[in-house]
Amino acid sequence: MKITLTVNDEAYPLDVEPRRVLADVLREDCGLTGTHLGCEHGVCGACTVLVDGKAVRSCLMLAVQCDAKAVRTVEGLAGPDGEPHPLQRAFSAEYALQCGFCTPGFLMIAAGALDADPDQIAGLVESNICRCTGYEPIRRAITHATRGDD
Amino acid sequence: MSLLCIESAAEYCGRELTWGNLMRQWTRREDERLLTGGGRYVADMAVPGCLDAVFVRSEVAHGVLREVDCAAAREVAGVAGAWSAADVPDLPDTPYTLMARLATEEAVAGREWPVLVKDRVRYPGEAVAVVVGEDRYRAEDGAAEVVVRIDPLPAVVTPSAAAEDSVRLFDDLSNIAFEGETGEPIEDAVWRDAAAVVEARYRQQLLMPTPMECRTILALPEGDRLTVWSGHQAPHRLRAELAAVLGWPVDRVRVIVPDTGGAFGSKSAIFPEYVAVAYLALKLRRPVRWIEDRMESMLTATRGRGQDQRVRLAADADGHLLAYELAIDADVGAYPHLAGAMPLQTARMATGVYRTPRVHATVRSVLTNTMVTYPYRGAGRPEATIALERTMDALARRLRLDPAELRRRNFVAPESFPYRTPTGRVYDSGDYAAALELALETLDYAGWRTEQSRRRHDPAALPLGIGLSCYVERSGGEAGVLHEYGSVEAHEDGTIVARCGSASSGQGHETTFPAFVARELGVDQRRVRLVEGDTDEVPDGVGSFASRSAQVAGAALRQACGMLIEEARVRAAELWELPVAEVVWSDGTVSPRTGGTAAMDLGELVKATGPLQAENRYESGMGFPFGTHAAVAEVDPELGTVHVLRLVAVDDCGVVLNPMLVKGQAFGSAVQGLGQALYEGIPFDDDGLPRLAHGLLDYLVPTAAEIPPITLKETYTPTPNTPLGAKGAGESGCIGTPAAIVNAVADALRLTDADVLQMPLTPDVVWRAANLREAG
Repeated sequence: MKITLTVNDEAYPLDVEPRRVLADVLREDCGLTGTHLGCEHGVCGACTVLVDGKAVRSCLMLAVQCDAKAVRTVEGLAGPDGEPHPLQRAFSAEYALQCGFCTPGFLMIAAGALDADPDQIAGLVESNICRCTGYEPIRRAITHATRGDD
Repeated sequence: MSLLCIESAAEYCGRELTWGNLMRQWTRREDERLLTGGGRYVADMAVPGCLDAVFVRSEVAHGVLREVDCAAAREVAGVAGAWSAADVPDLPDTPYTLMARLATEEAVAGREWPVLVKDRVRYPGEAVAVVVGEDRYRAEDGAAEVVVRIDPLPAVVTPSAAAEDSVRLFDDLSNIAFEGETGEPIEDAVWRDAAAVVEARYRQQLLMPTPMECRTILALPEGDRLTVWSGHQAPHRLRAELAAVLGWPVDRVRVIVPDTGGAFGSKSAIFPEYVAVAYLALKLRRPVRWIEDRMESMLTATRGRGQDQRVRLAADADGHLLAYELAIDADVGAYPHLAGAMPLQTARMATGVYRTPRVHATVRSVLTNTMVTYPYRGAGRPEATIALERTMDALARRLRLDPAELRRRNFVAPESFPYRTPTGRVYDSGDYAAALELALETLDYAGWRTEQSRRRHDPAALPLGIGLSCYVERSGGEAGVLHEYGSVEAHEDGTIVARCGSASSGQGHETTFPAFVARELGVDQRRVRLVEGDTDEVPDGVGSFASRSAQVAGAALRQACGMLIEEARVRAAELWELPVAEVVWSDGTVSPRTGGTAAMDLGELVKATGPLQAENRYESGMGFPFGTHAAVAEVDPELGTVHVLRLVAVDDCGVVLNPMLVKGQAFGSAVQGLGQALYEGIPFDDDGLPRLAHGLLDYLVPTAAEIPPITLKETYTPTPNTPLGAKGAGESGCIGTPAAIVNAVADALRLTDADVLQMPLTPDVVWRAANLREAG
C-alpha cells in the first residue's frame, strides 16, 4: 500500500504492507532507529512517538494509519539549528538516563505534553517503564525543562 | 577523603555547578547520541542481506516431543529456511559455563541441553524449531506453519516439589543437580541451650531481570571468521564460548558490543539461541540476527533468585547471636548449565554483618520446569541478606529488643578486619555500625518510633512499621574472574586511548574511565578516549558483572597509568642522558628535575621515541561493600495495601570514581529492590505455565507511580585489597532494600510468624497476614 509519512518535517513516500506497525516502518523503512521497541505490546512506552502532536505507542499503530499524518520522533526533537531540545539537555544534566534504551520514549511523551499541557507531565511519566534510573531523575529533568530553568 | 573521590557533578565537569552550565553541555559522553536517537543497539544495525531468526517454542512446560514438521514453513514466501533438531544433526548443544564455577561438570554430566529440543521439552518456551526469513514478518509467517506435537508430562515448578523426584526432568537422574555447604554443622546442644531460637521459612521468588532491551545477537560470516554483535556484558567470554562451540581458535571470532539496553546480570552468558544464530549464519553463509521480543523473553530469558529457605537463629538472653543455620533449596531451572552452582554464593554470604560464632549453610540446587536461573542484580547476596535480616527482626521481637540495638550488639567490629567468616569469606574492611547509625539518623528513627506508638493508641490510624536491613555483599567476582585487562596508549597527537575488558550496559564507562585515566595522568579528560566491547580492539577481558568494573578494571587502569608514567620517565631519561630519578612527571609532561631542557608533553615524547603503551592484567581481591537500608511503611489491613513512606539507603562502596553515576545506580537498584519486595513475581498454573499472558501487565516492574521518597547516603571505607580502594557499586538496592520493606510491614502488623509474609507483598498476601494477626 502506498502511503506518505511525514516524519520530522520530511516526506517519506513508502510502499508498505498494511500489517507493518509504525515502529518497524520508522526503524526499517525510514532508517530512524532512535525509536526503540521494548515490549511490542504497548506497555513499556519505549516506542512512543508523536502523531499529529499526540503521543502514541508506535508498536500498536499501523504505519498505514499514519498516511498523510505528521510523525515526530526523537531524531526530530532538536531545533532546526541543531540546538538540543531543553528536555534533552535536562535529561543529561539530571542523569536521567543510563542505558538509554527507554529514553526516546520518555522524551517524546514529555515533549508531546510540554507542547500541549505541561500540567499533565507528571502523570504521563508514570506510563512508561525505565529499569535503570528509578524514575526520580527523569521526573526532575522534566520538571526543570517544563519550568524552562536556566 | 581520597583525592580520587569526585564530590560533585561540577567537579566532574570541571565547571561551576549551576543549572545553566549543566544545560549547555552533556554530562556523560554517551548522552548526546542516546538522547538524539543516535544510539546504536544491535537491532539498529542495518546489515545488507541480514536474515531474521524466529524460534518456534513449546507451549507446554514439560513433555515428550513427538513431531516437528517444518515442510510447510519452507514454502512460505520470504522464508530462507526452517529446521527442527532432526534437520540439523550437527547443530552443537548449549555449552555449560566454565567461568567462576557457576556451573560444574558433575552437575551437567548426563544432562544434555540441546539448542533445539530433540525428544523432551523441559521448560515452557523451549525452542523446538527455528525459521529464518527476509524480515521478522516473513520469519514469523513461516514459524506459524511449523507443525509441532508434544505429549505433556506433569510439571514441577518449585524446588521443594521437584526435590521429591516424583517427576524427573532427566529420567535416570535425580532433580537435585548440585549440593554444597559452607561452615560446620551446628550441634543440637547449641539450639537446646540458647535463650531464644527463631525459625522461619522464606521464599525468594523468581524474578525477571527485565532490561528494557531484550537479548540480541547478529552474526556475520566473513572469510574464515565470524563477527558477532551482541548486547552483552562479557564480550571475551562470548567469543571464547562461541569459538569452543564451533571448534575454532578464538581469533576467528570477533565479538562487538555496541550500545546495550541494560543487562542486570542477564546478558553475560551464551544461550541456546546464540548458538543457533552463529551456526545458521555459517551454514547459510549469510548474516543472521535474533532480536528477542518481550513476550518470548518472559518465558525464555534467565530468571533470578528462586530459593526456598529454612532458617534457625539462636541467641542468648542479652541478644548475642550464638548460631545461624540456613538451608537452601534452590530453583536452578531446567538445566544446570549456566549457573547450577550459583546458590553456593548465598551460602558463602550467610554470615552477614554479624560475628555469629557458628554459621552453617547448605544448598541443594534443584531442577524445575522453568527457564534457567542465573545471576540477576545481586546474584545470591539478596537471598542471603533477606533471610538473615528478616530473621534478625523476628529475633528482636522475640527478645523484646529494639531491632537496631540487637544489630549493634552483634556487628563485626571495625578493628576485626580482615574478618574470616564461618562460611568461608574474608571480609576486607567495614564499619557496619557507622552505616546503621547514619541510616537511623537520616530516617529520624526515634521520631518514627514515636509516631508508631501514637498510632497504636489511635484506632483510626493505619498501622505503621519501621524495617531495617544491614547488609554486606561481595564484589569483584569469584576466584577465576577477579582479573581484568587494562591498557593506556599515548599517541603522537597527544591523545590517549584507554582499553579495558569490561563492557558497559548503561553504567557510563565511556565517561567514567577516560575521566579517571585523565586524572591519573594529570591531563585534560578530553584527550582520553575509551575503547572497550570489541575483542579485536581489546586483546583480553572478563567483563562487567558482579559489581566489578570500577573495582577491578579501575585498578587495572590505575596501574597501567603508573606503568605508562614510569616508561615515559625512562624514555625521557634516555633521551636527555639523565638518570631516571632526575626525570619528573607532572600533568602529562616529563621534565628534568633541575630544569634546563624544556618540559616535554607525552605526545612530543611519543614523536621522539616511538609508540608508547602500557598493558596490564590486574588481579583483584574480593571487595565487601556494605550498608544499612531502612524503610517506613504504612499498611491498610482492610485493603492489604502497603504504602512506603520513606526509604533510606546508606551504602559504602569505598572509593568512588564518579559519585553521580554511582548514586544513579544506587537509586535504580533500590527501586528494583522495591520491585522484589512488593510487586514482582511469576505465578504458575498447575500445568507449570507461568501466568504472564499479558506480559508487562502481568509482571509488574515498578513505574514512577510507585516510587517512595528515597534518600541515599554514603559512608566511606576503602578496600585495602586493591591499589584503588574502590569496592563494587550498583547492586546495593537489590540486596539491602527488600528486607527493609518486608520488615517494616511485619513491624506494622506486629507479626510473630514471619512465614506468613512471602514476597512479593501483594495486597492478597498482606491482607491474609493482617487478618491472621487479627484472628490470632
